[in-house]
Amino acid sequence: MDRLFHKFLRARKIPSTACSGCGLGQVHKRVLLALERLDLGPDDVVWGTGIGCAGRQTFNTWRGDNFAGTHGRVYAIAAGLRVALGPGKKIVLTAGDGDAFGIGLKHLLNCARRNVDMTVVVADNLGYQSTGGQFGITTPRGSVTDSSPYGLNEPGWLGGGLDVLEILKAAGATYLARHLSLDGASSVESLVMALENPGFSLVHFIYPCVTHFGAVTLGERDKGKILGSFRAMFAGGGKGGPTDRDDGRGGETDGGGRKDPGPQAGSGPVSGDPAFRLKRGTYHDGRGLRPEFAASLIAWTKNVREGAGR
Amino acid sequence: MSGPAGGTAENKAPGRGNMPARSEILLSGFGGQGVVLAGRCLGTAATRAGFEATMLVSHGTETRGGYVRSQVVVALGEIDSPVVEKPDFFLALSQAAYNRFKPLAAFGLTLYDSQMVSPDGALPGRDLGLPARELARSRLGDELAANMISLGVILRLLGGVPLAEGQRAARELSKRGGETNVLALELGWNLDLG
Amino acid sequence: MLRLFDTGNRSVTEAAILCGLNFYSGYPITPATEIAENMSRRLPLAGGYYVQGEDETAALHMAVGASLGGMRAMTSTSGPGYVLYADPYGWAIGGEIPVVILNAQRVGPVSGITGAPGQGEFYLSRYPTHGGNFETIVLAPEGVREAFAMTVEAFRLSERFRTPVTILADQLVTDGWEAFEVPETREELESLGLPLPDRASHPGPDFYPDNTLIDVPPVVLGRGTGGACSDWTPTREGYDTEEIGEQMRHARRLVGKVLDNRGLIDRSESVCLDDDPRLVLVSYGSPSRTVRRAVREARARGLKVGAVRLRSLWPFQDKLFQAPGRDHLVVELNCDGQLVREVSRASGREARFLGRCGELPKVSELLEAVTLLLDGKKIDGGYWAEKHGGVFR
Repeated sequence: MDRLFHKFLRARKIPSTACSGCGLGQVHKRVLLALERLDLGPDDVVWGTGIGCAGRQTFNTWRGDNFAGTHGRVYAIAAGLRVALGPGKKIVLTAGDGDAFGIGLKHLLNCARRNVDMTVVVADNLGYQSTGGQFGITTPRGSVTDSSPYGLNEPGWLGGGLDVLEILKAAGATYLARHLSLDGASSVESLVMALENPGFSLVHFIYPCVTHFGAVTLGERDKGKILGSFRAMFAGGGKGGPTDRDDGRGGETDGGGRKDPGPQAGSGPVSGDPAFRLKRGTYHDGRGLRPEFAASLIAWTKNVREGAGR
Repeated sequence: MSGPAGGTAENKAPGRGNMPARSEILLSGFGGQGVVLAGRCLGTAATRAGFEATMLVSHGTETRGGYVRSQVVVALGEIDSPVVEKPDFFLALSQAAYNRFKPLAAFGLTLYDSQMVSPDGALPGRDLGLPARELARSRLGDELAANMISLGVILRLLGGVPLAEGQRAARELSKRGGETNVLALELGWNLDLG
Repeated sequence: MLRLFDTGNRSVTEAAILCGLNFYSGYPITPATEIAENMSRRLPLAGGYYVQGEDETAALHMAVGASLGGMRAMTSTSGPGYVLYADPYGWAIGGEIPVVILNAQRVGPVSGITGAPGQGEFYLSRYPTHGGNFETIVLAPEGVREAFAMTVEAFRLSERFRTPVTILADQLVTDGWEAFEVPETREELESLGLPLPDRASHPGPDFYPDNTLIDVPPVVLGRGTGGACSDWTPTREGYDTEEIGEQMRHARRLVGKVLDNRGLIDRSESVCLDDDPRLVLVSYGSPSRTVRRAVREARARGLKVGAVRLRSLWPFQDKLFQAPGRDHLVVELNCDGQLVREVSRASGREARFLGRCGELPKVSELLEAVTLLLDGKKIDGGYWAEKHGGVFR
């Protein structure tokens, strides 16, 4: 991380104020690795963040330009900023599941519809953790949280035949991928494709919250064990293990070289949704298939102006 | 017929030509009769002729008995209130609009389309029926030009705003039938009011 | 000068384009829809970008985002959309991002009557978002011609103060028609200070300085300055902080930059105040025009009255109402009494109130009220007035 840190991050924000053992740092690092792979530096990227753990912990960590939006609206801000920035600058947004899929979903979907050139990294900790661990949009049904003490009695968007990425795909997103935060090279690969896509990309990382979701819902504070539970929860009841099918690199190591702990079905109180099968890697690849919002607006405006003889 | 003198202090101030310093014109009818277009033509023509002008448009949205009202003020200097409270000219192209606004008829001249409106004989003030719709059909082949025939009448009585400016505005602002509207204005301007 | 007879929606559009507007994001709503329509027609021809948000929240966020990228940006709406601006409005205040907002007030609450004027957002324009620790800048045009000039002023103030500026219009201003002038020649443009200079970009590193100065360039992203802008309380460099000292510093700047430089914002018009009349009518926006006419007619009848028209609403101009011995009759397009409360507070005596809903008070009504008040009698000022006594002392 030292090399990445010196290259990309601001000293003032390190060490992070995230809880010890939080999986967010892994996600953050994957993004930096992808930027490095693409040889992008601080001046090439404007980095925006949402509200919640994922946003707050990453805000103004980037050595270049940064902004933090209002809750769920950073996508709309980025759409306006996209027009002003013009091509050549990347916009990376890091936000959580509540920001992106809850309060911000309408703006997210409309950015997908317009195919606004941005890479949204959703770091999903399965609920509202920065406010103390309430259930959210992606919390598995049945989960005991601080606001579902008797178990969550409504479906999330990662189960029951529902998948939030399917909604984004239908809305027009041109690149979608999903990973667990421990996915190493495969997730960097997805992020590289996302960043290269001149359009709306979203990479969904499910990562462990050790303080709330892990401790309260799963009864587990160990990041590795929580990740193991995720695989059980999101892999059809634990059968089949990791399904990193896109690149066949199951058993990734994370940046620290630790071995993926693998599935540990039943390690927590939530047994998962047999209808939902976590597919790790690219979810949808429509790169280059639809015109990009700002580029087409700029070209269209130029045509209108020239057509009018000005 | 000369331009009517209003009752306010300001209206008694010297004007230009026949025109008082401030003239209030209330145009009304139902949707689709071109009340707003007539107001825009009047305001645009007056503006180009060097007057100040304002217009407030309001709609009664009831499906039956609905109305469109265009309150136009034309003045030589600054216009304070754009509200037509004492119209020098009140034009009604429909019965519903006539009924709604006739309490304002006392202040000036009421003009109504004689085919569309049965006038209230008990109203104070002067009034004049115009065969606007009838003329529009028979002379121009387009009933919708009744608004412009009526505006032609008002322009002449108003004094100060040349017919040509009204016609120029009508040509520019009409989405359809611009030339018909130009002719209609002239027809109204030259109408023998008896 | 090109003389046009058109609406306030048109005059605002033309003024914004002459200011060098690059980005307009709107959402259709009566009676401001025609600004969006005019922008969609005119702005591309001037090389600017027209975008329609998925809602008003998105529309203002997009405009602020474009401004953060260095563009001159604006949006427009009516009351139901203005409340949805709360989120991005606060963000732009806190992040000190320039943007111009027009609100064409219509009668309410909620959807009310779409085609009727109201003045229900007087206080909302002072507190358009949560959290406090800020002053807003709000201008109030009385008609089409003034809306043109005030749009130019709004862009200038917004840039100089690094903050959103609301043009608080009403339905009669935006949908009303009036003759107005648009500059055509270079000399005419320059006489209005147009087009405005290009947006400046703060070089850093102290993007949020420890003072109340204006003319500090705002943060612009994408220029390699390491700029930072957020919803959090910022350090000077823009880092999010939870230090109370930094919070105090931030609040001091947001409030102080407006109040310390309010001479650039304060605007008003006096009518017949030279002989210090006892009764002064107070208004803003389109009712001011009937008020002015009523005062002139009252004077013609020998009644000693005057009027104050507020051309800027916030920060509130207390000084205008502190002449001794004066009584105020506040005329508003609402029946709950909003401006009247501020006038009462500023003057230290309870002001009289004449509120009307959805249409302008008639000159004749105002004359009647003035006559009654001068005779020491009660007026029919609406419910608020009943509760607060309608008698002129």
